[in-house]
Amino acid sequence: MKIRLGTPISVTLIVAALGIFLVWPMAHVFGRSFWDDRGFTLIYVAGLFTNSVQLQAGLMSFLIATCVTLCCVGVALPMAWVFARRSFPGKALWSGLLLLPMILPPFVSAVGMKIIFSRAGALSTLLMNLGIVDGPVDWLGHFPLFGIVLLETLHLFPILFLNLVAALANIDPSLEESALNLGASPMRVFRRVTMPLAMPGLFAGMTLVFIWSFTELGTPLVFGLRRVLPVAIYDSVAEIGTNPSGYAMVTFVLVISALGFWISKRLLSRHRSVATLGRLSQARREVPLSFRGSLLLYLLVGGVLFAAVLPQISVVLLSVSHRWFLTVLPEGFTLEFFGQALNSELTRTALVNSLSFSLIATVLDLLLGFGIAWLCVRKKIWGSDWLDALAMLPLAVPGLVIAFGYMGCFSGSFPNTLLDPRMNPMILLSVSYAIRRLPYMVRAAHAGLEQVSSTYEEAAANLGATPFRVVWRITLPLISANLLAGAILCFSFSMLEVSDSLILAQSENFYPITKAIYALLESLENGLNVAAALGVWAMALLGAGLLVAAALMGKRFGQMFKAG
Amino acid sequence: MNEASSPAIEVSHVVKRFGTVTALDDISMSIPAGEMFFLLGPSGCGKTTLLRILAGLETPDTGKVFFNGRDVAELPAHERGAPMVFQNYALWPHLNVHDNVAFGLVERRVAKLEIRSRTEDVLKRVGLAGLGERMPGQLSGGQQQRVVLARALVLNPAVILLDEPLSNLDAKLRVEMRHEIETLRRDTDITFIYVTHDQADALALADRMAVIHSGKVSAIGTPLELYARPPNVFCADFLGEANFIDGVVNGAQVKTKLGQWAWQSEDKAPPVASGSWCCMVRPENIQCVEGPDASVNAFQAEITGVRVNGATVTVSLEAAGVPLKATVLTQRCLGFKKGDTRWWAVTPENVVLLAP
Repeated sequence: MKIRLGTPISVTLIVAALGIFLVWPMAHVFGRSFWDDRGFTLIYVAGLFTNSVQLQAGLMSFLIATCVTLCCVGVALPMAWVFARRSFPGKALWSGLLLLPMILPPFVSAVGMKIIFSRAGALSTLLMNLGIVDGPVDWLGHFPLFGIVLLETLHLFPILFLNLVAALANIDPSLEESALNLGASPMRVFRRVTMPLAMPGLFAGMTLVFIWSFTELGTPLVFGLRRVLPVAIYDSVAEIGTNPSGYAMVTFVLVISALGFWISKRLLSRHRSVATLGRLSQARREVPLSFRGSLLLYLLVGGVLFAAVLPQISVVLLSVSHRWFLTVLPEGFTLEFFGQALNSELTRTALVNSLSFSLIATVLDLLLGFGIAWLCVRKKIWGSDWLDALAMLPLAVPGLVIAFGYMGCFSGSFPNTLLDPRMNPMILLSVSYAIRRLPYMVRAAHAGLEQVSSTYEEAAANLGATPFRVVWRITLPLISANLLAGAILCFSFSMLEVSDSLILAQSENFYPITKAIYALLESLENGLNVAAALGVWAMALLGAGLLVAAALMGKRFGQMFKAG
Repeated sequence: MNEASSPAIEVSHVVKRFGTVTALDDISMSIPAGEMFFLLGPSGCGKTTLLRILAGLETPDTGKVFFNGRDVAELPAHERGAPMVFQNYALWPHLNVHDNVAFGLVERRVAKLEIRSRTEDVLKRVGLAGLGERMPGQLSGGQQQRVVLARALVLNPAVILLDEPLSNLDAKLRVEMRHEIETLRRDTDITFIYVTHDQADALALADRMAVIHSGKVSAIGTPLELYARPPNVFCADFLGEANFIDGVVNGAQVKTKLGQWAWQSEDKAPPVASGSWCCMVRPENIQCVEGPDASVNAFQAEITGVRVNGATVTVSLEAAGVPLKATVLTQRCLGFKKGDTRWWAVTPENVVLLAP
């Protein structure tokens, strides 16, 4: 019998890659927070709750994340219900537009937000001109939480929206109809049938939002709010070798997110067997919305969207304005900052760096993602559930944790080599981008493979194609749209990855775009404008990429951002 | 029938388990070249698993499969050379009709020109000439079915495996496709292995068939043999309608609730031991008679229902508490009413004794 090595070799490579670049850094972080030179200790973990600075940072982060999650539910739940159950003109367009806030990085919008809400910013000036307040108000200084919660809510509510729409759409209409038929009023049906069935989806979405906002580094950093957990972790990178309290904080973040994901995964799998059999017993008939209803919906959704893109608009305005100080709208129009954003040494290097890191990351993701999906869906290898869970883990592991882990692991174990981020972060940045976005790629490939019946491959083998030829001629062409969409997504997000970039890129010639923007914010002369211009360039790139990805994946695009 | 020296396909003591479920339990059969052989059984009986084992898409846990005397157990699917017609067609949606049909030829590295001519020939043969540029999605169900058939035929295989090929077609198309398969069958010497749960398809098309029940071979034989003289109750019941009457055999007589019945075995059949048996009578072998007659097994029964099929009528009867069904030509039972009691008879050669 011929021995077939393809599967064992690919399993070994994939498991090794995930082991070294995902499991090890986490294990390292975990280990260092419980063990020091003298052995096992709980003082660092205890420090989280006894050290008043750390405790305050933890509580603040918790407060922000809770507020953001609740606000997102408030915004997303009604919208999701209408989108899942009612039809109205322009629904597809609105569904696409609603993804917009999510794809624009809050890190960049924070710059714009600052302009609107700062002491000499647009809002203060507007209120002064209207005579509502007497002098300039420093909104962010007075209400730093408000800005962060608002910005993150507007950024993250689409994730919850997508999860909810899917959960509501996957409920078999006959389940609701039989409840109506047995005498329950529509309101009772919603409470007793619809909501319980949509609960796992709601919870999964809430978990994603909570963890995302709990670990958001860029936004508080730009707002100058330093007493939150992610910023505290960021600050502790400098003393990573000497003070293990950073490790303890990262472990805490890790435990919180793992817990959330574990619970939502359990909820999802318990329900999946009944409520969402994959195919509905009958198609749902959507009730058309009245003209008045549609108009109201347009106003509401349009308003939310406008609020969500307002910071981005102000970023664009900032990038083309000479002066924006104590005026509602900027004064003087110029394109020089776009030129500066491409011409200065710092920004040009950053663009080139980001492009090459992201490209490497995308190729890595394509190989890993397709390989993992193939082994899990088609080969159904022993332990494929574990492999899949491992590949999905980066969803639950914030970029902060991975970057921190890399810093700790590789700078200690491979000092002064290419794997030492302090020497050259190129490999680690690319790999961290790849690992961070691997779930999207696996999911895209997974979805593709599940939609493509394995009979297609069996038929090809049956007609004489070798396993490799089957993949080449049948599988890859059939899921190419999914793979391409996944790749574009990986690339675009890598271009604007925040926490990994801020932590891992330590010297200026290796700065990616996001770190360059952050550096520019600190610089004096026109730094803000150039940063905004660089942000606009990045947004344009990201937007174009996502449009292409969305066009390729069609309706399935939204599935990429779903939990579980 | 073609009597080849070594059978085209031989299955020997094949066992296949999925977890705790035994899908195939010691299956053996031998299929001569050129035969239209049916695997017939209810859904879940293991017939598709057996077909997939023949195609190399599943591996048996134990047992062997021989193609022309050659053990193919180690051969992966792509080296079996037994093209399969999949139940759900499995036409690749990204390839047009021509490329779908040419797929196997490309994999066999056949020259481009030959691929084109062979593909066009076979498309003509299945009545799809000129549709090569269409995408599978633009074809009707019947046309898709023909493309799948063409995809297998173009390879000039020795064996074609068919997995419920007609089950996705509506009634009219089924009849049409049945005819076409019959024509195809006449024009080629390909061995067909045909899986179906539809006994009508099997009885109409098969040279021989194996009735599969819970992963075991229940019976193998020609449609006529198996219909008229089924070897067991499952076969009798699955191949058409049957009446079962319990009885006790004593010499050449069997004592039933309907009286002492005479029965007649086939010449070669082994002798029947005394004891409990089950008498199987096909509904069309219960006929209405004028009165008792010593040469046949006659009994009185009350009519409990009349269902008109068209040319025939199915009459529900009850005799001595035993419910029976009789199929009678329509013109013979014009006066039949529910509640009538009449005389009925079964000739001894139409009584088949089966182990209960």
